[in-house]
Amino acid sequence: MENIIQITKNDIVNEGKKLLDAGAKFVTAVCNDLDEKLEVTYFFSANRGVDLTCLRYTVGKDEEVPSLTGTTLSTLLIENEMKELFGLKVKDLAIDYGGHLMLAHDSPTTPMLKPKKAEAESKGEI
Amino acid sequence: MATRTTVPFGPQHPVLPEPVQLRITYEDEKVVEVVPVIGYGQRGIEKACELNEYNKNIYLCERVCGICSYQHSESVVLATEQLWPLDIPPRTKFLRTIWAEMARTHSHLLWLGLFADAFGYESMFLQFWRIREKVLDILEQTAGHRVIQSVNVVGGVRRDIDEAQKKTVIDTLNVVRRESDDLVNVLINDYTVKSRTVGVGVMTKAQAMALGCVGPTLRGSGVSEDARLTKYSAYGELNYEPIVETAGDCYARMKVRARELFQAIDLQMEALSKLPEGEIAIKVKGGPPANETVARTEAPRGELYYYAKGNGTRHLERMKIRTPTFANLPAVLILLPGCQLADVPVNIHSLDPCISCTER
Amino acid sequence: MGLIHNSRIKSPWIMHFDNSSCNGCDIEVLACLTPLYDVERFGIVNMGNPKHADVLLITGPVNRRTARVLRNLYDQVPGPKMVIAVGTCASTGGVFHNCYNVLGGVDKVVPVDVYIPGCSVRPEAIIDGVVLALQKLASANL
Repeated sequence: MENIIQITKNDIVNEGKKLLDAGAKFVTAVCNDLDEKLEVTYFFSANRGVDLTCLRYTVGKDEEVPSLTGTTLSTLLIENEMKELFGLKVKDLAIDYGGHLMLAHDSPTTPMLKPKKAEAESKGEI
Repeated sequence: MATRTTVPFGPQHPVLPEPVQLRITYEDEKVVEVVPVIGYGQRGIEKACELNEYNKNIYLCERVCGICSYQHSESVVLATEQLWPLDIPPRTKFLRTIWAEMARTHSHLLWLGLFADAFGYESMFLQFWRIREKVLDILEQTAGHRVIQSVNVVGGVRRDIDEAQKKTVIDTLNVVRRESDDLVNVLINDYTVKSRTVGVGVMTKAQAMALGCVGPTLRGSGVSEDARLTKYSAYGELNYEPIVETAGDCYARMKVRARELFQAIDLQMEALSKLPEGEIAIKVKGGPPANETVARTEAPRGELYYYAKGNGTRHLERMKIRTPTFANLPAVLILLPGCQLADVPVNIHSLDPCISCTER
Repeated sequence: MGLIHNSRIKSPWIMHFDNSSCNGCDIEVLACLTPLYDVERFGIVNMGNPKHADVLLITGPVNRRTARVLRNLYDQVPGPKMVIAVGTCASTGGVFHNCYNVLGGVDKVVPVDVYIPGCSVRPEAIIDGVVLALQKLASANL
C-alpha cells in the first residue's frame, strides 16, 4: 500500500478536511488491533477514484479520539462500527448508536479485539 | 397543525426482502426525519475471516452477499494474491472479467425488476426476472452455480470456458440483449414511470461526493468514478468508460443501471473475443507474507474495498470489507426527508440496497 | 377434513422472512414466483403479512438481533402452521458457524417442520420442500 501518511489523532479532522476540500472522497476506515494499541487508517480516494491516500494514527486503547462526522456524514457508520467492534472511543459522533449499530443487546462486546498476547501466552495458547 | 407520526419501516417488510429498519417520522404524508437501524444481518464475517485459513475465506466472503457474490470472491482472491504478490495468468484474468460482467448483468436485471415492482409494475418485474433466468443459466453452465459460484481460488479459477460454451454464452447474450432492449425502452420512455421517478430523490454531485456514495448511485449524480478504471483483472485491455447521468434523481439512477446492463453485455462479448490461451491457475504454497493491501473491484452496486493484512501464516491478521451499500446508506439521510410517503420505496430501491452486505 | 383444511393444502399462503442470510436463498425464493418456476400455478401466494400466512419460509442463520423478530413473527402466524428452513444456514448455521453474532439454525428459536439443504437452494428444491410441508399438513389429524 502506498501513500500512507502517519499523523497524530488530533490532526485527523484537519488533515481529513484538507483532503476532502481538495476534491477527495472518503472511502472507509480500518481499525487494527496491535495488542497494546489500536491503529486507525482512514482511506480517501481522488482522481476519479483511482488514487488512494491513507491517514494513519495509533492510539492507546483507552484514549479518546475525535470524529470526522462534524466534517462529513460519510464517516458516520464506520466510526460507530469501530466504536462498538473495537472499543475505539470516538467522541462527538453526529448520530451515536450507543454501541448498538451492529450488535444486539446480548451480543459479545468489542468482538473484533484479539486476545491479549501476554494472557494467551500464560494460558499456553500460543 | 400537522401531527407527527413515527412509522417503523421493516425489519420485515414486503418491499425489501431483507431485514433493515428505517424509523421514519412523517408530518402528514411528508417524511421529516429518518434513522436507519441496521444490525439485523450482522454475523461477524470479518472476525471469522481471521479464524479461518485464507483459502476458506473465499467461500465465506462469497456469502457476504448472494447477489454480488462473484465480486466478493474476486475481491477476496485479489486481496490475498496481492499480499504475495502472485503473477496470475492472462486467461484467468479474462475469465474473471467475463464472470464478473455476467454477474453484473444478472444483478442489474434483478434490480430493474425490483425497481419496477417498487412503483407497482408487477408484470414488468416478472418479465425482467424471466430474462434474468437466461443469464443464470449461462452462469451455471460456465461457472457452476446460479448464485454462489465458488469458481475463484487463490492463484486462479477452477473452470474454463471452452469453445462450445463460448458459443452458447454469445447466443444467449444476444437473446438477452434483444429482449431487455424492448423492456428497457418501455421503462425509460413510459409516461407513468417518468412521473414516478423524474425529480424524485434528487442528490447533487456535491452531496453525493460528501456522503461518499459509490457505484451507479454516484454516477447517476454526474460523477464519473468507477473501480474498473483502476484496471484490475482484464479491464485494462478492454474498451471501458463509465456511464454517467447528470440529473441525480431516481430516473437518472435507473438509466445508469439500464445502460450498464448493455455495457456489461458488450464487455463480455469483447472479453470473449479477446480471450487468450494458456493456463487458468497457478500453484500456491504456504500462507501470504506479512504485508497489507487493498483490493478494489466494482460490484454491481458500487465499489467494493477489501483490506487484507497478512502475518506470514495461513491465517490472515485482519480482513476488512467495505461494501457498496455501507457507503450508500448515509444517502437515505438526505434522500428521504421531504419526500412523500408513497415515494419512500422508490427512493430506497433507487440506491439498490443490499443489507446483508452492509452488516456482514 | 373441513373446507378450510382442504383449501389450505390446495392454496397455501407463504410468508418469507430473511434472518441474516446472504440473499442467495432470498433471491431464489423470489425466483420461484417468476415465470420460469411460477409457483402460483400450485396456488402458492407470497404474502407480506404473517397473519395471513400458513407457511413460514425462513432463510439465513439466526443472529442475536433477528431471533426476537423471528419469534415474534412465528407467534403471529395462525395455526396450523408450517415452518420451512430454506438453505444450509437456516438448517444448521452452515458456513457462518464460527461467527460471533450467529446463534445457529432456525430450530434454535422456533420449531422447524422441513429442512431444505443447499447453498444456495435451487428453486426446484424450494418447491419440493413446500410440497413436503403440505403433505405433512395434509396427513396431520386436524
